[in-house]
Amino acid sequence: MKLFLAKISTPICGAALAVLVAGCASSGVKNPSGVSVTHMNADEQGFVAGTGVESQDLVMVADKMSRSILAIPQIASAPTPPTIVLNPVDNQTRFPINKDIFLTRIRAQLNSKAMGKVMFLARNQMQALEQERNLKRQGAVTASADPGVQEFKGADYFLTGSLQGLSTRTTKGTSDYILYDFHLIDARSSVIVWEDSAEIKKQGLEDAAYR
Amino acid sequence: MKSSWQPTLLAFLLTVAGCATTAKHQVVLTGDIMADAPNAIANGPPRDRVLWEYRLAAAAMRRGQFDLAKRNLDDALLTLGGIYGKDADAKKARGYFHVEARKTFIGEPYERSMAYVYRGILYWMDGEPDNARACFRSAEFEDGDAENHEYAGDWVLPEYLDGLATTKLHGDGSDAFKRAQAIAKGVTLPPYLPNANALFFIEFGPGPTKFATGHYGEELRFRTAPSPVTSAELKVDALQIPIAPTDDVSFQATTRGGRVMDHILGNKAVFKSTTDTIGNVALIGGLTTAAMSRDRTTQEVGLGIALAGLVSKVVSGATTPAADTRSWDNLPRYLSFVSLPLPLGQHVATIQFHDSAGQVLPNLTKTITINITTTDRDKVVFVSDTSLTPQTL
Repeated sequence: MKLFLAKISTPICGAALAVLVAGCASSGVKNPSGVSVTHMNADEQGFVAGTGVESQDLVMVADKMSRSILAIPQIASAPTPPTIVLNPVDNQTRFPINKDIFLTRIRAQLNSKAMGKVMFLARNQMQALEQERNLKRQGAVTASADPGVQEFKGADYFLTGSLQGLSTRTTKGTSDYILYDFHLIDARSSVIVWEDSAEIKKQGLEDAAYR
Repeated sequence: MKSSWQPTLLAFLLTVAGCATTAKHQVVLTGDIMADAPNAIANGPPRDRVLWEYRLAAAAMRRGQFDLAKRNLDDALLTLGGIYGKDADAKKARGYFHVEARKTFIGEPYERSMAYVYRGILYWMDGEPDNARACFRSAEFEDGDAENHEYAGDWVLPEYLDGLATTKLHGDGSDAFKRAQAIAKGVTLPPYLPNANALFFIEFGPGPTKFATGHYGEELRFRTAPSPVTSAELKVDALQIPIAPTDDVSFQATTRGGRVMDHILGNKAVFKSTTDTIGNVALIGGLTTAAMSRDRTTQEVGLGIALAGLVSKVVSGATTPAADTRSWDNLPRYLSFVSLPLPLGQHVATIQFHDSAGQVLPNLTKTITINITTTDRDKVVFVSDTSLTPQTL
């Protein structure tokens, strides 16, 4: 009997050891200690991703729109740089987003690449600008020009857009399609003088534990 | 030959001691959600973070702490939006030897929908009806994969508010209204008033919670306490508006149908039961064989069988089919909504809650002073039967 116990003790204990280690160790857990922060390019997809709007989508869309706007004759061949006001983007998708970020990036791209071919009007700063002008008119602060003259520019065009989506959800996963549409509207005639779009579709499936 | 079992046993015991789970992420609860939730979020198990964020957001909304609600819902919804792909904890939760509650909590579909509903209300408060609409669409979307398709995407209020937001954004909300009306079945929804600038979101009654049934607690079930409140009434200026429930959160919880995880838990329960039975048979049979036989070889075989039975019992004991009963337990039962035009200026609104006999429950009455200072955005008022009162918005 002692010999039998001696024979089986090592393999039994070894097997039990293996089971316990497998059960309580973090083996099989990816990155159990986490991952340090790393810098990434904004147009790269990170390892954390969903099916909604992400930075790489924003970069691609904004880059495409800004290149497209600069090519139209109303911008490229304008005798004087046209003035543009940004109107809020209409989000019609199922993803709440920071809507301003698209127009901000398009404006930044245009300002950096357009070489002065377009001018943007800071309508969101009008309250502060009017206050400053009033101070100048009252003589409370100095002015480098006659503050009585109306110098705030009117818009030649409005730049705006919409995000529209189609979403599907089944046992096989979730699919989201988003159409990014931007257009330039003539402020005088309401004619859409430019329009361009980009479309992105993503799909994913969550772990069965969440279904 | 020297015996090898003592050092082997010693190594075994040392390993067990080393692998023993030390108490981590332990949180002592005081019963005050406004203290417990931030503590649990900061110090509790990461897998419960979203649950506590949900709970804190609901409690914060009822206290008028909308910024706090926003922060917590935004973080929770970030987690919800990133659940696709491989998840080590979710994989373990599906395994035989880990409980389902090991996975990161994101909630059942009705809980996820409610997170989006609350966030949508907050976006509308901030003058972003399009982002609010996005949230209401996501709320409906989370309910889009019900086992019984009759109950897929059948929330009324998110659909109705989708159309209202579209109407206010100068679009055509009629499709969403038709869908909402079709779901509402027998209840006539009020037509959209584009000039209605005061929006009241009302909730009342205790919401559903989860419990487990089945031999090993592998079956997820929902229970809802009877609601003392079954309707409400809004009084503002000269107006008196009765409020009936538009959505029943308990109905949403109980009609979603089976989960894929239910099948996995069922398999775990079968495995547990089977290995337990095998273990019993092998233990009894092996020990009996060893005891009854005078032959050394037969005795050793019997003991071997008994040992195998023991291992099977250990495996059975380690198998955990228990369903995850973590609940967003401060959800309401009923949701409703009123929209009406109010002129600029101050208005005092009183919301009374009624029992099933139509009697006012005076201890639940809420008073809200509403200041309408601009025509540029809607005034959004959130009221619960558990809200603090009075409030000024």
